[in-house]
Amino acid sequence: METLSYFDCNVSIGRPAHGLIRPCPSAAELLAEMDRLGVERALVRHALMSEQSPAVGNPALAEAIADQPRLVGSWAILPPQTDELPPAPEFFRQMAAANVRALWAFAEQHRYLLDRFTFGGFLDEVAERRIPLLIPRDAGGPRPPDTWRMLTRLLEQYPDLTLILAHHGPWGEDRFFRPFLEHYPRFYLDISRYELDCGLRDLVARYGPERLLYGSHFPEHSMGGPRLMVARAEIDEEARQAIAGGNLERLLAEVML
Amino acid sequence: MIDSAIVREFLEAGRSASCPVVDLHAHYGHFGGIYMPNHTPEQMLATMERCGVERIVSAGHTALVDMVRGNAEIAEIAARHPGRWYAYLTYNPNYSDEGRQELERYEGRAAFVGLKFHPSHHTYPLTGEAYRPALEFAAARRLLVLTHTWGGSAYDRPELLEQVAQRYPEVDFLAGHSGHGQFEECMAVARRCANVYLELTAAYAVGGLIEEMVRQVGAHKIIFGCDLPWFDPHYAIGCVIMADISDEARRAILRDNALRLLMPRSRHEP
Ligand SMILES: [Zn+2]
Repeated sequence: METLSYFDCNVSIGRPAHGLIRPCPSAAELLAEMDRLGVERALVRHALMSEQSPAVGNPALAEAIADQPRLVGSWAILPPQTDELPPAPEFFRQMAAANVRALWAFAEQHRYLLDRFTFGGFLDEVAERRIPLLIPRDAGGPRPPDTWRMLTRLLEQYPDLTLILAHHGPWGEDRFFRPFLEHYPRFYLDISRYELDCGLRDLVARYGPERLLYGSHFPEHSMGGPRLMVARAEIDEEARQAIAGGNLERLLAEVML
Repeated sequence: MIDSAIVREFLEAGRSASCPVVDLHAHYGHFGGIYMPNHTPEQMLATMERCGVERIVSAGHTALVDMVRGNAEIAEIAARHPGRWYAYLTYNPNYSDEGRQELERYEGRAAFVGLKFHPSHHTYPLTGEAYRPALEFAAARRLLVLTHTWGGSAYDRPELLEQVAQRYPEVDFLAGHSGHGQFEECMAVARRCANVYLELTAAYAVGGLIEEMVRQVGAHKIIFGCDLPWFDPHYAIGCVIMADISDEARRAILRDNALRLLMPRSRHEP
């Protein structure tokens, strides 16, 4: 039997407005699905964080994962100029208290520029504290590479930022993301939608397994696909454990709050 | 953990002796917007071996662009792998005269079990006049037709498939991608039309969809596919087997339904 420990870097709870075929409103339902699939831990966000506001969704997430040792929290950021979230030192203190160890930026949805012009020293501090910043790359496919252009600028401005590109679409976006793996040692990839046949084998051979993170983008997407893909990818066992959970474990252990 | 013999087999061995997979939506070769590390027929056969995929039915990427060149390629590849690699003849309605010649040229070739339409890619509606010769050809010979379907598309949304499926009841239609984005409508079409099947490529990943298809339409109308060499069969198989459905449904989707459609049309040895 398998002895790997899976740590999902990309799941959410809540009731997104657009509706899901099978939503996952609570931590209990998330844990039940994780048990069904043999997934040990998960990094969680709340639908309210992106869809309503981090001011509402961040506390909702904290409340939902309190006393759930298998779930680690992630919050969303907003530009500091509008004072909708607590200011920097207090924000990081609250993260620590709520077992929140990663951040999301929903720049398009929340209508701001994710750059130094807007975030100034705040993102320097996020980088220094080694807090992973997750960026969604929704709806892959043949459309203009807005997210990628935004990321080249962001990383030119904050080269030490720990960045996780989340759920890029199933149109394997290697031609976009490989240069980032090449130029930025702290650029990580959530492989939840990296469905390419032999893609993992190919990526590991070229860049090593250290910056690939197992994720599912559940409940929008099925946990089963990436679960079997990682379990059976043609990579060595050390690489498999790194991708399944070791890399995320290490990243979150580095966070200083 | 899910209690399923098939799930255990795939997790432990990457393949299932009790349920070899049949994939009715495959391609091969390079394709514009996507890097595919594993696109040659030989590489694909290795993947099939690794993932326990017994047979595929494939349409070449070349044929989506250049029908004549691509159909010749796939005829040659499929002939080399009888009983393992079957082919769809790709029909491009923008070249309907050449298309008619293609239908005649390959008529009766053992490897061809159906036609492949991609109305969105060819920007020509499935209900358009230029598809008529191909549909009549398929109806007369009871061929399979795999057509791309996509939610909201002016060329191949589920509603257009329904019109065509009703006009040609002799043809079994696979709704490629199950009308991605208009799943409810596509499931309704598959319920109303005995000759329309839901094909899973890309749709399999949508959370809860497979369970919903089984509930609303029935496992007997769901067909496995993963656009090989695009997608790792294990990703697609993982979505199917780890869905909250019975082993019977898993087997129907991964194998039995496809064999039921494929074998009567196959002139290869079994
Ligand atoms: Zn296809």
